[in-house]
Amino acid sequence: MATRPVDLLLGRLMRKAVAAPPVAAEGSRALALFKAWLPALVILLLLLVLPSFVPSYIQSLVTKMMIFALFGVSMNILWGYGGIPTFGHAAFFGFGGYVCGILIIHGGIANFWVNLVLVMVITALLGAGLGIPAFRVYGVGASDNPIYFLLVTLAFGELLVRVAISARSLTGGSTGLSGIPYPDLGIGVSINSYSYYFLVLGIVAVCLLVIYRIVNSHYGYALRGIHDNERRMQALGFNTWLYKYTSYIIAGMFGGVAGCLFAYFGGTMVPNNMGMAMTDIVFLIVILGSASVYFGPVIGAVIVVGVDYLASMYMPERWPLIMAAIIVVVIMFIPQGVGVLLLDLWRKVFHGSAA
Amino acid sequence: MAALLEVSGLSVHFGGLAAVKDVTFSIEPGERLVMIGPNGAGKTTLFNLLTGQLKPSGGKVLFKGQDITHKPVYARTQLGMARSFQITSLFPNETVLTNALIALQGTRGGRYRMFGVFTRDKVLRSAAQELLESIDLWDKRSETVSSLAYGETRKLEMGLSLASSPDLLMLDEPSCGLTPTESKDITERINTLGKKITVLMISHDMDLAFGVAERIILLHFGEISCEGTCDEIRANQTVKDIYMGSHKASTAGG
Repeated sequence: MATRPVDLLLGRLMRKAVAAPPVAAEGSRALALFKAWLPALVILLLLLVLPSFVPSYIQSLVTKMMIFALFGVSMNILWGYGGIPTFGHAAFFGFGGYVCGILIIHGGIANFWVNLVLVMVITALLGAGLGIPAFRVYGVGASDNPIYFLLVTLAFGELLVRVAISARSLTGGSTGLSGIPYPDLGIGVSINSYSYYFLVLGIVAVCLLVIYRIVNSHYGYALRGIHDNERRMQALGFNTWLYKYTSYIIAGMFGGVAGCLFAYFGGTMVPNNMGMAMTDIVFLIVILGSASVYFGPVIGAVIVVGVDYLASMYMPERWPLIMAAIIVVVIMFIPQGVGVLLLDLWRKVFHGSAA
Repeated sequence: MAALLEVSGLSVHFGGLAAVKDVTFSIEPGERLVMIGPNGAGKTTLFNLLTGQLKPSGGKVLFKGQDITHKPVYARTQLGMARSFQITSLFPNETVLTNALIALQGTRGGRYRMFGVFTRDKVLRSAAQELLESIDLWDKRSETVSSLAYGETRKLEMGLSLASSPDLLMLDEPSCGLTPTESKDITERINTLGKKITVLMISHDMDLAFGVAERIILLHFGEISCEGTCDEIRANQTVKDIYMGSHKASTAGG
């Protein structure tokens, strides 16, 4: 099926690619479950032993990949499942990071867990506040033409950037908020860049699992239904506004968690982390990785962060050019994303057919 | 017995155009009411007013005695209304089974559950089996809806509308685009629904209309032009005029 670039930009991604495999008979369910989760387990194990084999700069690169994987997957709740593309997801990411930094530096809250919970609550509140006007312009069945929604969410992000620049005493202004230390877990273990890797791995793994459960739950299928046909969903008795609104809050909350991890990781937050520049990156992560496969954005994050790293090493000024070139190539040649390609390959190898 | 649905003085204007003008009628429980009318008579607009997709400019809609004039679409469904769509309106990327599951979920508890596995919900699955068997699509449950034949999608369309076990079923051109045989099949299905479900249907298809209706309302230029039983409608001069085009003003054909 041909996809026009405009379709991609408007979020009209083809979800045709992945029909669910037939449900296994009760007896072999444990085996089927094991088979389905095997890749995830293998990757988790590899990530656990990885730091013993690679130099620290690779380890830090992988930490960043994991953070952006969570960022991408959180956006995909909205985009891939709800069919709601947003240009303002970075607002939650950056906001979460800022809240985290401000709580530590100005609020004096050192404990990581307290901080994480507060970040989740505050970004969820931000989502609840922004979601009301945003979904007023989204209307019903707007996955065909969400242009107003895109503009409004874009404006929210830029608004937060402006606020961060102006509120200098709190946010450090345009130079950003710096000096965010590594987290204090409150159990007497000091965290450095080596052990922070494992903390991120743990948090991201848990978040990805939770999001996976959400998108496959009753709630998640209602979201998919809204993506496909919102009017029908209403006629079936679903309060679609509430689903869209809550999915915006949930996606924002997990985006905030990613931002919080990112703030500890880099030790600095700059206003642009909430703006268009960061939204571009998460957009690319989702498009490249595929919005129609759950793990797509994870793959996207690995590629984008990896290429970003290489580019920053060899030609730091050319990164935007390289990113734009990747977007063009992906939209022209693999509009369905690398995730779908890999999934098809996986099925060919292990199930004998490309479903 | 109290009427199931009472519509009084319902109108809607689009700019200067009154698409539906002062429509008043009611449906008794168990009745089969069919609305006919030429293209542009305002049938679908009236339908959308009743289902809540459009907001009326004036008038009132009572369902089971409750004022639902300004209730949103989903709330009406929760009360026991259901509709089908003229243009087939399914979830094309999902399987037939998932379509049924989603439809059944609409009026059941647990719609907001975030930690169950939806496709393995036993209660829903058995209800879905029953629903799909009743429309002869159980064998096709694993197929993606976009790969179904047109006639099958029309059947599924009706099936999804029945998923909420409604008291009032509103069908918008259920035979739209079907062959005469398939259309006959739909007629039979509606007639075997049983008296627990009240049916309000819009139809172009006269065979279907006369095959189902106990009472017919003719809509013309947004107004109720006449109403009566099948025989009365057959004999009615206005109906003949509009459908056969025997006078100048009525150029629209059936």
